[in-house]
Amino acid sequence: MTTIVHVVNQFFAGLGGEEKAGISVGVIESTAGAARGLQSQLGPDFKVACTIYYGDNYFHEHSEEAINAILEAVRSHDAQALVAGPAFNSGRYGMSCIEICHAVATALNIPCVTAMHEENPAIGTYRDIADARVFCLPTTETATGMTDALKALAKFVSKLTRGEAIGPALQEGYFGRGIRRLERTDRTGADRAIDMLLKKINHEPFTTEIPMEEWDDIKPAPPLDDLKARNIAVITTSGVVPWGNPDRFKTYRNTHWRKYNIAELKALEPGKWEAVHGGYNVAYMNKNPHYGVPLDALRSLEADGVIGAGKLYPAYYVIPGNQGSPAVMRRVGQEIAADLKKDNVEGVLFVAT
Amino acid sequence: MSKELEKAGLPVALVSAMYPVAEQVRANRIVKGVSIPHPCGDPSLPQDLDARLRREIVQTALKALEAEVTGPTVFTPNMAVSG
Repeated sequence: MTTIVHVVNQFFAGLGGEEKAGISVGVIESTAGAARGLQSQLGPDFKVACTIYYGDNYFHEHSEEAINAILEAVRSHDAQALVAGPAFNSGRYGMSCIEICHAVATALNIPCVTAMHEENPAIGTYRDIADARVFCLPTTETATGMTDALKALAKFVSKLTRGEAIGPALQEGYFGRGIRRLERTDRTGADRAIDMLLKKINHEPFTTEIPMEEWDDIKPAPPLDDLKARNIAVITTSGVVPWGNPDRFKTYRNTHWRKYNIAELKALEPGKWEAVHGGYNVAYMNKNPHYGVPLDALRSLEADGVIGAGKLYPAYYVIPGNQGSPAVMRRVGQEIAADLKKDNVEGVLFVAT
Repeated sequence: MSKELEKAGLPVALVSAMYPVAEQVRANRIVKGVSIPHPCGDPSLPQDLDARLRREIVQTALKALEAEVTGPTVFTPNMAVSG
């Protein structure tokens, strides 16, 4: 019998959504939520000894305590492997899965496997960490692919715990980590390189042996000098919009942005604004929209001359960021940039949730 | 989004509670926010201290806009202003 532990967020443990995102790490001494599905995919030779859960916000706000509590739980169940997630396209969840896997693999020396969508921002961290004992499998964007994801996780973890050698990423289906291993071949590098070159010249397909990492680094824009003489604008992905949501933003996957006038306002009065966003608990933001658009602070800095009089742009820009695809967000960024440039804005305060 | 703005030559101070993610996606000027549901302030504080903390966060962001950076850089507001 092989013992596995499964780590999931509060939602996939079946404990609740955003309202429970602050709960600390807990252990259920059986299979709950997604762990039940994992157990059934693993079959009778495996035992998912416990379900470890944590709140999505709690993890990021208390990551050291959270990781220590998880390590303790994994240790006490004497697990031979750990499964985390699947996290699909949730950034918060994906990031915690990768961090947990890496911490457990490092401290307890057991293999860890997680799964998420290829556009999850945590994939970047996974590649950066490049832990030889941590594997991440691809999933669909949303939880509609849960069964397939659990099936793939079960298959992979059983292979891992049998001690079978795991081949290269392309062959085994996990996301590549950029780890290179030596392999024996009877053809020299020069031969193989010439082969590739000839194929390339003939427009034939070939596979590189050293895929290049694609880094999308942006050269930082130059800093502002003489701040009080500069036009400053606010952009937010928090989803703060006028009460009633006049432009019908959705709580997720929006494709348009708007700007709302704040020229005559000293502050955002609660009850006149609301937050439209499906990725976090909007109760605080509804009670005090300044958590997303800090107009009170900006006006106070304007009164003190830190920001020049009339230098705060008369509107703020918004798109609820939840599950925004990188392609859409790039376009939105370009459109807002063009709009800002047109009005001579020189610096941006961007509040992201 | 913030990267497109920087590409257009506009410096961006990104206030986010998930600053490791911001670093990961290579945002350049990152300001530590308080928490995911309330980046600019802390609802557990009395109103005046919450406002003071928010002002500190915004001021840190403005300082970030004035700072010369060469890559992802995290700026930390002084949380002690809220007492």
